[in-house]
Amino acid sequence: MTILPSSAARPARRADTDVDVVVIGGGVNGVGVARDASQRGLKVALFERNDLAFGASGNSSGMIHGGLRYLTSDPHVTENSCRDSGHIQAIAPHLLFRIPFLVPFENARHGRILYTLADGFFEAYDKYQPLKRGKPHARLSPDELRRLEPGLHGDLVGGFSFDEWGIDGARLCIANAVDAIERGARVYVGHTVERIERREDTGEVVAVRYRDRVTGEGGRLRTSTVVNATGAWSPITASLAGLPASSSRVRPGKGVHVVFDRRLTNYAIMSKTIDGRQIFVEPWENMSVVGTTDDDFYGDLDQVRATSEEVRYLIQGIARVFPQIHEARAIGTFAGVRPTLYAYGPTEDALSREHQVIDHAAHGAPGLYSMIGGKLASFRLFAQEMTDVLARRFDLGARCVTHTTALPGGDRAVDALALSRRLEIDAVAARRLVYRHGSRALRIEERVRERPREAATVCPCEPVIEAEVRYVLRHELARSVADVARRTRLGLGACGGMRCAARCGQIVAQELSLPPRDGMRQAMEFLSRQAMTRAVALGPEQARQEALAIASVRSELGAPADDGMTAAACEDGDRRSTRPAREPEERAWRDRSS
Amino acid sequence: MARSILVIGAGVAGLAAAWSAARRGARVTVISAGVGETALAGGAVDDVPWEQLERAARLLGSDLPAGDLAPAMRQFAAELGLWDVPQATGVRLATVAGRIRPARGRDRALLDLTPLRRTRVLIPRAARAAWDADALAEALTDEPFARARGLRFLPVDAPVLRFDDERRIADGDLAARHDDPARLSWLLERLRQALDGAGGAGAILLGPWLGARAPRAEALAARLGVPVGEALIGAGSPAGLRFEAARDALLAAIGAPRRHGRVRAVGGGHGGPGEPGEGVAVHVEGEDVPLAADAVILAVGGLAGGGIAYAPPERFAGPDLPARGAAPFALSIEAPVTMGDARGAFGVVSSMQGPELDVIAWPRGERPGALEAVGVRCEGVRAAPGILAAGATLAGRARTVLDAVTTGLRAGAEA
Repeated sequence: MTILPSSAARPARRADTDVDVVVIGGGVNGVGVARDASQRGLKVALFERNDLAFGASGNSSGMIHGGLRYLTSDPHVTENSCRDSGHIQAIAPHLLFRIPFLVPFENARHGRILYTLADGFFEAYDKYQPLKRGKPHARLSPDELRRLEPGLHGDLVGGFSFDEWGIDGARLCIANAVDAIERGARVYVGHTVERIERREDTGEVVAVRYRDRVTGEGGRLRTSTVVNATGAWSPITASLAGLPASSSRVRPGKGVHVVFDRRLTNYAIMSKTIDGRQIFVEPWENMSVVGTTDDDFYGDLDQVRATSEEVRYLIQGIARVFPQIHEARAIGTFAGVRPTLYAYGPTEDALSREHQVIDHAAHGAPGLYSMIGGKLASFRLFAQEMTDVLARRFDLGARCVTHTTALPGGDRAVDALALSRRLEIDAVAARRLVYRHGSRALRIEERVRERPREAATVCPCEPVIEAEVRYVLRHELARSVADVARRTRLGLGACGGMRCAARCGQIVAQELSLPPRDGMRQAMEFLSRQAMTRAVALGPEQARQEALAIASVRSELGAPADDGMTAAACEDGDRRSTRPAREPEERAWRDRSS
Repeated sequence: MARSILVIGAGVAGLAAAWSAARRGARVTVISAGVGETALAGGAVDDVPWEQLERAARLLGSDLPAGDLAPAMRQFAAELGLWDVPQATGVRLATVAGRIRPARGRDRALLDLTPLRRTRVLIPRAARAAWDADALAEALTDEPFARARGLRFLPVDAPVLRFDDERRIADGDLAARHDDPARLSWLLERLRQALDGAGGAGAILLGPWLGARAPRAEALAARLGVPVGEALIGAGSPAGLRFEAARDALLAAIGAPRRHGRVRAVGGGHGGPGEPGEGVAVHVEGEDVPLAADAVILAVGGLAGGGIAYAPPERFAGPDLPARGAAPFALSIEAPVTMGDARGAFGVVSSMQGPELDVIAWPRGERPGALEAVGVRCEGVRAAPGILAAGATLAGRARTVLDAVTTGLRAGAEA
């Protein structure tokens, strides 16, 4: 890790600021800093342009893996990842699930030599496994491999197993953000920072100007310190302070995943693509995920989608060891852009996964910092390093305790079966609820106790109950149908939202006091956007489902993206204010955060 | 001797074709493999996609344009007995998603809002997943049509669910319970109480629960004194079950036998002397001897109905690339027909992995998506000698119910 020479240390907490630190970016690094800094007593405001976990954090492979891939190039990345993976298990045990991996070796040229070499490689990795409660690797014969995973195909010399942990990256971000809010941070979701104001003489940061992207309302917040945690957006954010993009440079690498409707395998299976890259199919929550690509990306970061070529490339690679993937039912794709450290020359895969704090005092902008690089598994450590810099700047004695303090919901275990009996809901629904919310599932139970009809299932595929949808709208900063989907996986299952998007739109409109038309428009936007991400991976069954969904939406809601409806919604804009205001309690968190 | 016609598919297009051919004295057999689009549809009898209708009305500044129906169409609807299709006007339906939409006609169980003015419509609360009376009432009251007509939708507490399991069972099962006259009387009492409690109302809107064998709404309305009906649900409505019951009755009435079976291939070429090209052999799965008919009508539905299959070329490729580029859509039955979409016939694809699908899957505005518009290319309804097509099997655009009836009637007449 590199820290550029820090600006002259001096207490920067001043009376003429509204908050001590403004964090820009609601990905895992941003919310991690917001949480850590709030815990250490700083006044924090966080701005997120789209939604929490909108970018790389919510579109990762969903693993806090130890970084086996980096063992030879960046061994301390592996060590840090493993150690922090252990910490995340301690503070959010409800969000983790074990993903055992199989690595089959083909009987190709040098197959045996490679196999023996790999054994030593895995042995080296075993050293780090205890840090994250992982099991040591095992050598497996071809027969043993096929017994464990009968679908394995090809002439194999043998293989290995090793151990990793899966996580829902979006839920991890939400948990951090909620914790930060509960410790006094203000979180502005859907707000874009338009400018970072600096003094003309010294170049110091004095304020940020922001705008709500939905209502168009703007504002100014005085601060002495800004943390740019915008991942692939970093150069753009730096330029808001008048700095050249090269001051906060990343090498954006697009990664694509294909989602299948069920757990196709018991184990995650590694395979190689036609160009020799390592990819995998993993059982992830209640589906399977194939990933991933790594390609330089310079397009619109708000509109990242997988292309059909990328999907074909991945499927072809998996089919080599697991041909049944051709018959499986793909239900979607997702894509994100990694913010890897900038380097000119190396291929995407060879880029370092290290992270780095840049102090822009070096560029004449004291008080502005950029967080560059990093991975999901070591986000907490990165946030700690960033907050240590802040602590020095603000002369704080408090030490980091984010690795010992439980995240919201991670404080105690909840019995999902007992919950399902108490709520009279499906056991699977209860299990998923507990997975997503940990002990906070009991707060959702509270809601159902008061209003029994909220036990009704909104999304039958995932499944998601109504009380959870209302809960994430009130307490987890969701502002749209897509936001609810990101937090609950509503509409991301086999039916693609056909049966739940419209209903969710109604609930969103009710909870946020929007005109009902806005809820329908959101549902439509969600459906058409999801359909675009699915189209590239369509198979025979899913195409039929898709056609049926279009017919159904046409019949109930009208033509997708019907301009008439949008126009009508605009006319209605002024009627928003006539809606009755919410009760004060219901507004509480919103006031804190806006 | 009467011509023998084989209709493949027993949805609305197949039924219309069978009825129309039988009326002209043909011997008709219907063969179908299972549930298709009609059985899954919601019960709105559409002419053109409804939002186009709405836009036309807005542009003309008039009420909904609704052309006269062909006499054959009117007679077909009358004999089917399931639909209410007014002669020269449209209907207005409330959807469970909270919109008020026009349609050319409706399943008789659905509530028509057209005659209502300056009144209240009661929506009973029920603890079912897709039925939030409060949200629905709010959304419907907010619709332009409701505001123009002074309609207010009002959620009311009326126990319309009788047993505890009814919070969870499917719409179709709940609808089937209302086929029982005793249950209907029970519901009538609850609705009467709701009406009294609310001090009267212009209509009552319920979920899609009013009968699986036949629409029960009109009987209910007659005894109650105010219109009662269902809200429209986009897919999986009991309207599909009601259609199947009405279809079976109509097929029996016209003497057209219906058999189950999956047709594998349709081939021409056994033309009898004197009528070259006519006469078609139909190969049914699991049967050695092909069926023979003078003409075949393909009414197997589009992609949603399973009549058209999507088969991306690389899907079944091994480690190698597919043998050649191909359009990814095919008729689920082998037949000497050409496939196409709204833009024309599918040609030879220049990519070994088929055409790019990224932007054509979901419709935008007026333009139909590839998934809706794909089908068999026809001259009118004639796809090949002795082979005709009807309904969503036809290429070109998203097919509506009236479309299916019209093409079905025409195919039946021409066959």
